Amino acid sequence: MNCLEDYIRLHAAKQPEKVALICNDDRLTYADLNKSVDARVANLRNQGYSPGKVVCLRAEASAAFLVTYFALHRIGCIPAPLEQDMPQHVFEAVEAGLHRHSCPEGTADVLYTTGTTGRSKGVMISTDTIIANAENLIEGQGFTPELAFVINGPLNHIGSLSKVYPNILLGATIIIVDGLKNLDRFFDAFELLDTKYATFLVPASIRLLLQFSQKRIASLADKIDFIETGAAAIAENDMQALCRLLPHSRLYNTYASTETGIIATHNWNNGNCTSGCLGKPMPNSQVFITDDGLIACKGRTLMTGYIGDPEQTNSILRNRTIYTADLGSIDSNGCLHLKGREDDIINVGGFKVSPTEVEEAALSYPAVRDCICTSTPHAITGQALKLIVVLHEGEILDKRALALHLRKKLETYKVPMIYQTADKIQRTFNGKINRKYYRQEANGHTQ
Amino acid sequence: MKDKIRKLLEDALPLVDFDAPFLFSELDSLGVTTILMILADEFQVTMEATDATPRNFKNIDSLQSLVSRKLREREKQEEVKSPTNP
Repeated sequence: MNCLEDYIRLHAAKQPEKVALICNDDRLTYADLNKSVDARVANLRNQGYSPGKVVCLRAEASAAFLVTYFALHRIGCIPAPLEQDMPQHVFEAVEAGLHRHSCPEGTADVLYTTGTTGRSKGVMISTDTIIANAENLIEGQGFTPELAFVINGPLNHIGSLSKVYPNILLGATIIIVDGLKNLDRFFDAFELLDTKYATFLVPASIRLLLQFSQKRIASLADKIDFIETGAAAIAENDMQALCRLLPHSRLYNTYASTETGIIATHNWNNGNCTSGCLGKPMPNSQVFITDDGLIACKGRTLMTGYIGDPEQTNSILRNRTIYTADLGSIDSNGCLHLKGREDDIINVGGFKVSPTEVEEAALSYPAVRDCICTSTPHAITGQALKLIVVLHEGEILDKRALALHLRKKLETYKVPMIYQTADKIQRTFNGKINRKYYRQEANGHTQ
Repeated sequence: MKDKIRKLLEDALPLVDFDAPFLFSELDSLGVTTILMILADEFQVTMEATDATPRNFKNIDSLQSLVSRKLREREKQEEVKSPTNP
């Protein structure tokens, strides 16, 4: 067995009637899934798709997306799943950029992640990395073939896409729900099969469910085997609330990123409900802390590199080690603890945003003379983006018009919720935006 | 009440067109939650996830109806808690 698609074929032969995938009205057994993937392979080959080709596709929450994703792998193509609401001109620019570069042998996916410079970076993931991530999750969190896993997040992000890996490897069931907008639909997913369930929820989604659905979470206490969170910091109050509602479920906080893969995980419903604790490294991973206090990772789950950008690759990947911008420590029990980030990236409910990209887009709005994108505390997402603008003389801030302008250039999660005008933007002595000043202001530390 | 709801929501969700023919389709999960939170805070009513239905979130009018219904429920509960004797 070399890749996920081999496991689809294996399960189609061994347990053809087992439900592999449920999404809206689609319910595919492993036999159906294998057949659909083969049909899609034939269809794509007829369209001229051949091994080694990098293929951009919108990561829709649908069975069709996963069938195409698996079919591309089976042909030997390299899928590059992109945000489903990405503006078309950005999609085309990414596609054009990708076609200028090739990937090394063994590359399975190109996943896009936010870069500090404001430009997204294409992270190359190998077939072996996918299997190594699957093995880490199976060993670290106890995935089983009987499990039904509810995926509710975007399938172009490692948090959700990585949950496809162990479930397919084991022959378990994947249920796809398009976000948490319709909470009834999300909760209904846990009634579809008579089995144990698991799901991945970013901390913002946990906060959302705790705010409005405590009774319904509690009603699922006997069904939920485990819940995993990650991608952003979760508040200790929310961790404790979930322990009270789901006393018998395992609740995992995981350290992972597109570049490092799935590294470490901690069950906080096991007597150690500590915010920031991310547990011990999983079997295919090793972690250490650099002299600067930054987290560094080794092992089979690491990316191959950034596509077409050896310089950026070398800046974080050296000697088979990824040096992250995450500040951390390892306690006497060998558990990893996350303490924050060293760079300017803002984490909005698990989505990482480069303020530079937002500022570039805002500066293209005619009324804006100068601006800074910063963050402000938010009840659900932990942090929300705030855009402070200096307007040209005589201009008035039309918040909605500016937001709509930004939406044309950026994905929805990158458009700030809060807007404010100012007479000037604070800069350092060499003219750079003084981000530290605004971070301190957000924390109430400026005078 | 309608104007107040509109102003509060437009301020919190600048990307959303509150005059759209079907407001629910304009929103993501964060938008739905934000609206529930704002209405709960502003009018001191209890909102549940089950209130986030396409019907309740059809437009500003239906949100106003939702709030009015919640206010009536709250009044009834308060009457039950402290019955006034003749």
